[in-house]
Amino acid sequence: MSLRVQYARPLNVDQTVALLGELSSGAVIIAGGQELMPFINYGRVSPSVLVDISGLKDLQNIETSDDGLSIGALTVHRDIQINPLINEIAPLLAHAALQIGGGRQVHNQGTIGGNIVAMHPLYDIIPALLVLDAEIEITSQQGSRIVSMADLINESNHKMGTHAVLTRVLIGNSPAGQGWGYEKLKITDGCYGSANAAATVCLAEDGQVQSVRLAIGAVTEKILNLSEDLATFLPASPDADLDSRIAGIVESAVEQPLSDQQGHGEYRRAMAGVVARKAFHQALDMARQDMALRERM
Amino acid sequence: MAEQPYIGRKEKAPDRVAFVSGRAHFSSDFAFEGQLHAHIIRSPHAAAKIRSVDLSGALKVSGVKIAIDGAGAAEHLDPIPHHIDPIVFGGRTTDLFCLAQDHTRYFGEPVAVVVATDKRTAQYAASRVVVDYEPTASVTDADLALKDDAPLVVLGWDDNSIMQVPFCGGDAEAAFKDADHIVKTQVRVHRQATQPIETRTYNAIWDEGGQSITLYASAQNPHPMRFALAKTLRMPENRLRVIAPSMGGAFGLKMHSHPEEALICLLAKLTKGAVKWTENREECLLIGGREQTHDIEFALREDGRILAIRDHFLANAGAPGATPGWGMAFLTGLTMPGPYDVGNLDVWANIVVTNKPPWSACRGFGKEITALALELCMDKAARELGLDPVEIRNRNFISSNDFPKKTATGLIYDSGDYAGALAKTVESIGYYDVKRNQEKWRGEGKYIGVGLGYEVTPEGGALPGTMVAGYDTSTVKVDPGGSVTILTGVTDPGGGNRIGIAQIVADELGVAIEAIRVLQGDTQTCPYGFGNYSGRSLIVGGGSAALAAQDIKEKIVKVAAALMEVEEGSIKIYRGVVTSSAKPESELSFNEVCYAAYTRAYDVAACIEQPLEATRTFKPGLISHLPDEQGKINPYPSYSNAAYAAVCEIDPGTGVVKLLKFAVTHDCGKAINPVLVEGQACGAVAFGIGGMMGEEIVFDEGGRQKTRNFEDYVMPRAADVPEIVMKHHDSPNPVTFMGLKGAGEAGVGGSAAAVVNAVNDALAHLGVEINDLPVTAPRIWSAIQKAQSAQKAAES
Ligand SMILES: Cc1cc2nc3c(=O)[nH]c(=O)nc-3n(C[C@H](O)[C@H](O)[C@H](O)COP(=O)(O)OP(=O)(O)OC[C@H]3O[C@@H](n4cnc5c(N)ncnc54)[C@H](O)[C@@H]3O)c2cc1C
Repeated sequence: MSLRVQYARPLNVDQTVALLGELSSGAVIIAGGQELMPFINYGRVSPSVLVDISGLKDLQNIETSDDGLSIGALTVHRDIQINPLINEIAPLLAHAALQIGGGRQVHNQGTIGGNIVAMHPLYDIIPALLVLDAEIEITSQQGSRIVSMADLINESNHKMGTHAVLTRVLIGNSPAGQGWGYEKLKITDGCYGSANAAATVCLAEDGQVQSVRLAIGAVTEKILNLSEDLATFLPASPDADLDSRIAGIVESAVEQPLSDQQGHGEYRRAMAGVVARKAFHQALDMARQDMALRERM
Repeated sequence: MAEQPYIGRKEKAPDRVAFVSGRAHFSSDFAFEGQLHAHIIRSPHAAAKIRSVDLSGALKVSGVKIAIDGAGAAEHLDPIPHHIDPIVFGGRTTDLFCLAQDHTRYFGEPVAVVVATDKRTAQYAASRVVVDYEPTASVTDADLALKDDAPLVVLGWDDNSIMQVPFCGGDAEAAFKDADHIVKTQVRVHRQATQPIETRTYNAIWDEGGQSITLYASAQNPHPMRFALAKTLRMPENRLRVIAPSMGGAFGLKMHSHPEEALICLLAKLTKGAVKWTENREECLLIGGREQTHDIEFALREDGRILAIRDHFLANAGAPGATPGWGMAFLTGLTMPGPYDVGNLDVWANIVVTNKPPWSACRGFGKEITALALELCMDKAARELGLDPVEIRNRNFISSNDFPKKTATGLIYDSGDYAGALAKTVESIGYYDVKRNQEKWRGEGKYIGVGLGYEVTPEGGALPGTMVAGYDTSTVKVDPGGSVTILTGVTDPGGGNRIGIAQIVADELGVAIEAIRVLQGDTQTCPYGFGNYSGRSLIVGGGSAALAAQDIKEKIVKVAAALMEVEEGSIKIYRGVVTSSAKPESELSFNEVCYAAYTRAYDVAACIEQPLEATRTFKPGLISHLPDEQGKINPYPSYSNAAYAAVCEIDPGTGVVKLLKFAVTHDCGKAINPVLVEGQACGAVAFGIGGMMGEEIVFDEGGRQKTRNFEDYVMPRAADVPEIVMKHHDSPNPVTFMGLKGAGEAGVGGSAAAVVNAVNDALAHLGVEINDLPVTAPRIWSAIQKAQSAQKAAES
């Protein structure tokens, strides 16, 4: 631990990355501080320099273009919950942000960028971004690069806060008629999820399930991105058989389940299947309603 | 009796806004010139030899004032007096020091301390203290601790038992032989913790001139704490002042004899300055309680009447500690058989030490575990005998005609109407509606259950030879201007008993409540008192203030009569106005009379002795410390009690429990202020719910505590606590002021039992029964899985 912490408050992204480039690995970005500050208070991490990016205006905006949404990394959970653009283009993300615990204080302070970089298995944002096929913009002294959320969770060094900044979250427009669902299973209201699932479903004209995207959080150390695994038996009719296949794929993907206050390993594996089915059915129902609506028009 | 415009009213505490808006002053809010901060270095091992402690790294850090280890502290400090020494009850004892020396007995035990100019420097310097530990064998499981080859937690003891103590009566063995049915179960209660929003703080200032220490402390018992500090610090009590300012909850945690108390005082003395330590949440979670395993059996007659109860239980009290924690298990035994009329009792408590952190008092003080064990076994008996849970309880309750009732353990219950209270709860919860519809709901895949719990909570306790006293003292002072100050020996953990005491005195004196100020928690200004525990604050704080107020009123009436030239008996004082039935046309203000009482000492007020001040003690009856022919005593004057019920729905696919409704019917003798009583009762329900549905302290194999923050120790949120239907069913206690029985402690066990019984009722058709607590979703899910695979195996 270091005694005197230095504090820097860069004015823009260029200054930030330049500063990070100069500093040693003891420098750490702080955004909303909702993850970092408890760690510092308990002495689990002790950065020598805090680089406070919370003032960077360029990272606080939410923009749309023909390609979809671009969300600044400093957008706080509360804004994600209530922003009309996000609720129109990526309502699943707004809904997932609503499931975040900790109450208003955390929602008004915690940022989407911090939530992603934390890569915490129990957090709610990444499963939603995975099924929305989101992309992440990362900026360093070498410039910006865009990585898919799916690739980012596989990158071993996603702790970018010592040399790079997560600058934006990019979400494409969803295909017409896509339904979505998010299921968070909590033992009591104050708990983290024992299993979280985000899903999207697209139906073919004949009512067959054409595509399913599915991600499971809170069950394994790494959030499970199962969209490709499910693609192998699609299209398929939405019946009990499909249900048990989904549950089967999910449960077998859970190799080393977490075991903590949210439940033991066996429970977590089983609950992964339960939330997957529930999220899938929410998405399926929504897609069906959408189809019924279009048929009537 | 005086008129009572205030008693019974939902009077609001004047300082409530300060409390909820962060403007009340808590111990850690006080800061002094040159304020220093302490950081405590704690053992990372459950058991280890301490080969050496090297403080030099810390002492080199600029800003560090002092760093000491166990050997250093022992030069200045004697052992901490036990709050309740087991030896008084025939158990084993050991000397306990503020800092470990030579070896450490539990994860988190204080080993050394660093004091610096700010918190961060102290924390940083602490990271540079090098302790050379040699880990030794540890034991955290109570069963294993009793094995012959178990490592000894306290070197020098023969085994790991503090005491094995019987609570027996009648002839249980014969009753078990004659029984039509024997119902047995094992109730395993897990380790829990009390977590007040304000953790502990000790904030000590040395006064060089007075060679004395003032300690601002989150302390439930300032005077007894001062006694313990004086012993440990080798100072006379009159050189110590303990001030307990506003408190953000206590729940037993802030009863004295924690190692940090004297330690922080010593550091202030050695630095000749002001030293503060505030416990962090991780440290607060180390202090636990309630971990007990009960092998409980009922001997029953065909009709459901209980002939005898056997309960041999094991309490895992953790390492020895000086706080009264271990005593909780003793009271679990003493409180058997709760509300039931069972004379044949074979109860044995085996209180065991392990290498977990020590227990400290937890709300309920072991009496809640009596209720859990009895009530869970009662429902099992109802299931096995095919009786309704209401019916089997009614067949066994002590009848309301039988009070005062001496129980098999020697307690003497003052009063109650258990069947009456249960009937009200049964009605509030809609018990029979649930029972009627249960089958139908099950057919629809909805698993809904209703569960009951009854708790008798002995209150106002007095244990002979300890600082747990049954009486307390208040001073009432009336100034020449007519304002009233009450100084009382009872303290307020945050529940607001001040306003209740003010209501009592306002009615006794006949003044407006705004004229009253209650001061508590200061050993220099308040009469010697024992503070807050055991639901005693209104019984003895309110009772003694009432007596003192009566004494003063007598003087005021005398002076008023002299002023008005009427008979004393004709005087009436109501809301600050003094009138006489003999002279209806004239009146005086209370303030005028007070002024005359002070200023006309040689004419109209010659009839009294000035000043208008009185100090009185309330010593409730019924307590008897003289052993009866069987050697039994009754340490309690008062037995509050309550009936609880819960309705829950369980999702069989996930095991998640949703509580739909809760009902409480409470007998606190007399509600001075229903808001205070209901607030306490609701708090107890949340406590009971939390303990059963989420809160659990767990350790790894090496004995290191894994539950270290609120991410892992999950207390209930508003959404987890359903609507609570609250009713009162007061049977006044004949031996206390106005019939008070206490309302601050009861209810954790009764509500916990109601939750567990509701869960088991919801799952009864699956053959699932969980008495291994808590009843969290993963456990319920596993139990359902197990039952289903057993059923499948049986079918194939
Ligand atoms: C009581 C409580 C309950 C919570 N419950 C939930 C929950 O149920 N679900 C959930 O999803 N989350 C939950 N959270 C976490 C919350 O969402 C956090 O706010 C969020 O994960 C972190 O965001 P932050 O801005 O506060 O990050 P910080 O704490 O500031 O930073 C977190 C980490 O990310 C790095 N970092 C932050 N921003 C960037 C960036 N732009 N570029 C590079 N690195 C960066 C930091 O260096 C640090 O390592 C909870 C938090 C609390 C305190």
